[in-house]
Amino acid sequence: MNGVTTIATKELRDALRSRWLFAFAVTFAAVALLLSRVQADAGDVSAQGFNRTTAGLINLCLLLVPMLSLILGASAIAGERERGTMATLLAQPISPAELLVGKYVGLTVAVWGAIAMGFGSAGLLVALFAPLTDVEHYLLFVVLSAALASATLSIGMLVSVLADSRVKALGGAMLLWFVLVLLYDLGAIGLALALSSSGRTLLAVSLANPVESVRLLAVMSLERDLDVLGPLGAYLTERVGTGTSTLLLVGGVVIWTVAPLAVAVRRFGRQDA
Amino acid sequence: MLVHAQDVRKRYGKVTVLDGANLAIEAGRVTAVIGANGAGKSTLIKCVVGLVAFDGKVTIDGVNVARRGKEARRRIGYVPQTPAFHGDLSVRETALFYARLKQAPRAAATALVEAAGLEEHAAKPVGALSGGMRQRLALGVALLGEPSVLILDEPAAGLDTHARLELRRLVAAQREAGLAILLSTHCLEDVPYVADDALVLDQGKTVYAGPAAGLASTGLDGSRLFLRLNGHSPEALDLLRGNPLAHDVQHSGEWVVVNCAARNKAQVVEALVAAGVSILDFRVEEAPVDAAVERLQSLQRGLS
Repeated sequence: MNGVTTIATKELRDALRSRWLFAFAVTFAAVALLLSRVQADAGDVSAQGFNRTTAGLINLCLLLVPMLSLILGASAIAGERERGTMATLLAQPISPAELLVGKYVGLTVAVWGAIAMGFGSAGLLVALFAPLTDVEHYLLFVVLSAALASATLSIGMLVSVLADSRVKALGGAMLLWFVLVLLYDLGAIGLALALSSSGRTLLAVSLANPVESVRLLAVMSLERDLDVLGPLGAYLTERVGTGTSTLLLVGGVVIWTVAPLAVAVRRFGRQDA
Repeated sequence: MLVHAQDVRKRYGKVTVLDGANLAIEAGRVTAVIGANGAGKSTLIKCVVGLVAFDGKVTIDGVNVARRGKEARRRIGYVPQTPAFHGDLSVRETALFYARLKQAPRAAATALVEAAGLEEHAAKPVGALSGGMRQRLALGVALLGEPSVLILDEPAAGLDTHARLELRRLVAAQREAGLAILLSTHCLEDVPYVADDALVLDQGKTVYAGPAAGLASTGLDGSRLFLRLNGHSPEALDLLRGNPLAHDVQHSGEWVVVNCAARNKAQVVEALVAAGVSILDFRVEEAPVDAAVERLQSLQRGLS
């Protein structure tokens, strides 16, 4: 078992022992149940059960997945420093890069597991009230949530490497969550619209935020007509094309996954333990 | 040469905390790094382990620590000043985790728990262990994977007399086993018992590098004995003044104050008792390291 696997296994076990992931899965299942009950009460069970539940879960997922991932990522390195265990770990035959990547892999698998459990139990609950249609959209959104978790965990790890205390790392993570999830629509996209309402500008702004990219991918997977996205929808459909748009947005999420982690590895390797 | 450090320098911003330290430790030898708080002992150790970036060169069994840190650390067992483990892992889980990191067999982890005398506590979270138990676990973890170099940062800090004697035995056993050992201490008394060589640091600069016995000859590892004798006992004072192992004998109130090398204090007291002097009470003060370093510097100034 090499260093990355050993660290990843420990990280995964720690995550399973923590209450965060369990709380995440339970919250998901509870909200999914609530959503399907509301739909059932409204007499809207028959047609698009999974599709509607998926749509309902999008906003919850875009709020919760980045929050969970940023916090876990931000605690990863700063927490070891605060406990004093970093020096003990780095005194072992393991490189700083292996330690960081091992932690990232372990946390990623843990969050993927929580997403799978949350969506899995939610899916089971929804299946009690709705026919098994549109399951593929539901599964696609599970994958998108996992991709969003990977990207925001990577950003969280970078915050953790850069911060000199756990409190600062967590503060930075929460600030980033606020900016990426809550402020972005109002701030960056509003500013872009004020400066230039061209679809190109809006696409660039969306690519600059993995949460926004995943939101667009989710909408694109659910809606055949992208009018709901306004000028950006029109630009994606008419100028870029749906296939290219999907590739661009997926590429954006991949870059947001790889780049912060790469920077974190580089910076971490140069820091004193 | 298992440990070789050449002109090691470390700065934090504008502050130089280590200014050109050199080390050379062969298999089966022990080097003690001595100095007061802030002298640069821990920094030198961190440089040797590769925990901090530094200028200069450190090799472990010929492997450059700065360039091939992982490979170099495979040869090192390191016990930090304050051993810190993941408090929620049990003793057994901790041993297994570090055995996996060091690619040591599972059986080695079990043996570690036994050797550290922690079998009864194997299922306990490390966070629930006492400081002494944690220290023993840290030593066990350091020896996992059969390292050729053992590095102990202030191993005697906070230990009671019994634990310090146990530590001396452990260091001696590992030296016998052929390990090169580097340890830091601010306790001069231990040095002649545990180390072959000594490196004395003061504010990052090397003020002595050579045999540990050489330190004893400068009287740096001195002890001060306070003896309360039965009456003024002028015979006892004469005896002490005539003893070549004792020096600076003074009378202060009801106490007789005698200075001697740390390793000779028992013989000084023994000589008095053998001569029929009854000792009502006594206490020992070890020379503080900063005073010893100051004395060493003044000795060097006198020589130059």
